[in-house]
Amino acid sequence: MARLVGIFELPAQVAAAVKQLKSRGYTDIETFSPAPFPEVDDAVHPKPSKVRLMTLIGGLTGVVTGYSMTIWMANNWQIMIGGKPFSSIPPYTIIAFELTILFGGILTVLGLFIFGGLPKFKIDPAYNSRFSAEDFGVVVRCSEQDVAEIDALMRDNDATEVNLVES
Amino acid sequence: MTPPPTNTVAGMIRPVPMPPDSQTNRDLLAVMKGASGGYWFLLGLALFFMHLAGAIWIYQVYKGLGIAGYAHPIFWGVYVVTFVFWVGIAHAGTLISAILFLFRAKWRNAINRGAEAMTVFAVLTAAQFLGIHVGRIWKSYFILPYPNQRGLWVNFKSPLLWDTFAISTYATISILFLFVGLIPDIAIARDRATGWKKVLYTILALGWVGSSSQWKAHNRSVLHLSGLATPLVLSVHSVVSWDFAMALVPGWHTTIFAPYFVAGAIFSGFAMVLTLMIPVRRIFGLEAYITDYHFENMSRFILLTSIICGYAYISEYFISWYSGVEPEQTSFWLRAFGPYWISTWVMIIFNTVLPQLLWFKKLRVNVPFLFVLSVCINIGMWFERYVIIITGLSREYNPATWGEFIPSWPEMGILAGSFGFFCTFFLIFLKLFPVVAIAEMKEIAIHEKAHGAGGGH
Repeated sequence: MARLVGIFELPAQVAAAVKQLKSRGYTDIETFSPAPFPEVDDAVHPKPSKVRLMTLIGGLTGVVTGYSMTIWMANNWQIMIGGKPFSSIPPYTIIAFELTILFGGILTVLGLFIFGGLPKFKIDPAYNSRFSAEDFGVVVRCSEQDVAEIDALMRDNDATEVNLVES
Repeated sequence: MTPPPTNTVAGMIRPVPMPPDSQTNRDLLAVMKGASGGYWFLLGLALFFMHLAGAIWIYQVYKGLGIAGYAHPIFWGVYVVTFVFWVGIAHAGTLISAILFLFRAKWRNAINRGAEAMTVFAVLTAAQFLGIHVGRIWKSYFILPYPNQRGLWVNFKSPLLWDTFAISTYATISILFLFVGLIPDIAIARDRATGWKKVLYTILALGWVGSSSQWKAHNRSVLHLSGLATPLVLSVHSVVSWDFAMALVPGWHTTIFAPYFVAGAIFSGFAMVLTLMIPVRRIFGLEAYITDYHFENMSRFILLTSIICGYAYISEYFISWYSGVEPEQTSFWLRAFGPYWISTWVMIIFNTVLPQLLWFKKLRVNVPFLFVLSVCINIGMWFERYVIIITGLSREYNPATWGEFIPSWPEMGILAGSFGFFCTFFLIFLKLFPVVAIAEMKEIAIHEKAHGAGGGH
């Protein structure tokens, strides 16, 4: 197996190259971008990020925790004040609201870690500090006989360089 | 490249050539390099005040809150004033990061990082005042709902409990927001750092490489954190305002408090962003990134929120007159013409009259003027909280219980120390992390490269 990294200057070129590579049947594709560009990220991973599911789970856990904690605690040691009910929903809504945000936020960041593959203890050898400057990279894993085809395809899409890296 | 000949592909691997670093990286990472004598002087000054406050606080713990000027009927003094002040300051960061992000206001990119950092340090400063104010710091964990042998739980109907939850949520979310935004920029710094900084950034960057799956998850996380932080930022100062509005003290017990406090918080927060970013831009030569356009937009926000504050001041007075409730009327009359009249007029002039000058475009782009104005607003907003808390408590219903309040030296020392604490962390942040979001600036630079030059961000 071989790995090729094509270096591009503009996000549109990266997106076009990725789409063509996919249409030719290459599936092991990854890109490196210095900044977020939806066209690039969507070309590689067309589905929406699953982070949204994490936010939903966190938010729902928070709202349930907020109400159940306050209501349970108010009834665990009941203090009668003026014959009013022990649990009072309007003030507890504030606690439930804050916990919705808190749990939702924490699980969102957890989602970033899970679906973004962080923390990563070994950095991909194809990564290079020029991708944290202003260059884009497209990394493709392929069999050795496909190297020439991919090389030509990337250059057709305005890759400034195409290099081989350790696989 | 010609098709691979008989030798293996692995044998053809050569090191990838390295072009020079991008202009954006060089400019924005330069802020973190070295430190001038002036920087060390400022840091030393900030550290001095921070330690001074620490020493005063230890003395206060030893002697008791009596030395803090707390005497009947005023048991909420400068510490609570300063707590509300710093919580207010903290609001601009989230507003700039989250709300302007949701509105797709691209001009926020240059200032959001500085504002987010300011938010985190301001919340941390504010949180300390709760501990300082309660006096018996060793019992402050009583506010948390934890299982204990007495079988007691906290009272969730109390606004102080709401505050505990609001402030701790706000601190957590703003730290997460700052960190998530920093990850790509820490990776940029990691790729260029050496020595101990390389180790630090390698740990903090968590192996970020900017792959599409990482950016995809990152974008979604930032969007959701913004969506969560937007109602949060509005709720936090509303909850702080209910600490007062839920009480029956004249001048406090009003329904306008939540929006009034939120507008005031955003107002003071924007002023603090200006107070910090104007010197930062000047000292580090960031004029190409933080332009007058950014300052002008911020001053428009200041003008808008100043008008909202002015409206709130007027309606407070109107309602107290219109209500026909004598204690309310007396309280407000004494605000303007009683023993604390100076604070009231400082608040009115600095917060509502002076900012009206921002109607003039010439002044909106006059950076020295903006700096002076932002400092005045910070002072005015501190006095706003002083007026609300002190005049309210000193003139309650029964004239027999009226009293006077004079800030004591421990209070003023700890107030000065809070600025020291805040500045210490902000100054350290400046040298350790990029104060302008590099990846976001690059997004704009690459867009401009793709669509030809031009476009003013």
